[in-house]
Amino acid sequence: MSDKKIENDGPGAAVAAPKEVQIVELDGHGGHTLEPEWKRLPIGPDHILYPVLVGLALFPILMGDAGHHLADDMPDEDTHPFFPDHFWPYPIIAVVMLIAVGVLSAFVQKNLQLEPAADPRAVTIPRPDWYFLFLFQFLKLGPELIMSQVIPGIVVGALILFPFIDGIAGPRMARRLGWKSWPVPGRNIITGTVFVLGLLYVAFLEFWALAGPNFCLPYFTGPVCGA
Amino acid sequence: MAIPHPREIQVAVVDWLDERYPFTKAVDEALYQRVPNFANAFYYCFGGMVFILIVFQLLTGVLLALYYVPDATGNPAPAYTSVQFIQNTVYLGWLIRGVHFWSANLLIIMVLVHMARVYWTGSYRAPRELNWMVGVLMLLIILALSLTGYLLPWDTKAYFATEVTIKIAGLTPPQQLGMFVKELLQGGPVVGPPTLQRFFTLHVFVLPALIVLLMYVHFRFIRAHGISEPL
Repeated sequence: MSDKKIENDGPGAAVAAPKEVQIVELDGHGGHTLEPEWKRLPIGPDHILYPVLVGLALFPILMGDAGHHLADDMPDEDTHPFFPDHFWPYPIIAVVMLIAVGVLSAFVQKNLQLEPAADPRAVTIPRPDWYFLFLFQFLKLGPELIMSQVIPGIVVGALILFPFIDGIAGPRMARRLGWKSWPVPGRNIITGTVFVLGLLYVAFLEFWALAGPNFCLPYFTGPVCGA
Repeated sequence: MAIPHPREIQVAVVDWLDERYPFTKAVDEALYQRVPNFANAFYYCFGGMVFILIVFQLLTGVLLALYYVPDATGNPAPAYTSVQFIQNTVYLGWLIRGVHFWSANLLIIMVLVHMARVYWTGSYRAPRELNWMVGVLMLLIILALSLTGYLLPWDTKAYFATEVTIKIAGLTPPQQLGMFVKELLQGGPVVGPPTLQRFFTLHVFVLPALIVLLMYVHFRFIRAHGISEPL
């Protein structure tokens, strides 16, 4: 492209010659509705920012063909282009999160300070980080093997197979029990109830543990205290 | 011979690429595809936030690995003193370590929030079941990353918490299998230098590679299926 043409049309005006694009065809890009050219940002192959655009595009390019999406069948007014409309919040979110963790690092140093170096001879009662605290509390409620291996194993298995349990077992049971509707969550009252109750139980165990060793609740085997 | 304008070089490069692969078309396909307006709801951002936090973890993890010494021999062990060195001496070491620590905590929260959103909007249903399963595996790997990372400072808290974790893993029935798992994790009869070496390897090489691989699969599924419609 000559300098004169660039001066006349301005940067970003250049588009690739269609005949050159015909050599290799991407598979399966069947009928996606792309943002019309006149609506796009004027960043064409001759623009200084084009490499940035290519960098952004590399990510979805590596992710393979987009398939036929819901948006392809929706009217224009119900959709928007991925770039820049859908993309722009993410850099802002990234910066905000970086600032947030930076501020936490600067002002909440307590959690980052090291304890004395590991010494196997030391006597200490370990207390796991918050994300394993509920499990730690759960261990106190029954035989070690069942509470540490069997039940968590079943829960993880159920979580992995949840879409199938939700799709098959839930509706059948609901029909048998004559349950008609429950507004949230989703449409499956059985799995929805189990899911929410499970989360509530985890939250309960977490707070129980957080309440500390002086907070004890009665249990079948005797009082069980926090961690 | 006149020196070409950088813009001309760029255009020439793009043209060259276009002759061999529909480059500009691929860029357009990737960037200007349309997205449903409902995907602008704030709760559709949670997955992106998880991705951003994983990137933070990988970047700060690489920086920490420049100074961390995975050696637990001696008292205090080089592992412990290297973390102290990062925290107190390395320029902005405290910040890098802080970002790694807090991002890890935030990551677990955001993964759970993202999972709750996926559940709430029914995005795990057909044809997205496999993606849900990949997501659950990623959650387990993130928890494993937290667990293995916990031991690396080699302080009292880390040591005894890991001892309990390994003891629990050793309960796996039958007894021989439990013992094997325990030996495999511990690398000896007690938690010691080989344990740190193993946890370090898992934390720095194996699990991040797995999570990057699963993230790739997760995104490919999302790209193939598109953003799910809310219930």
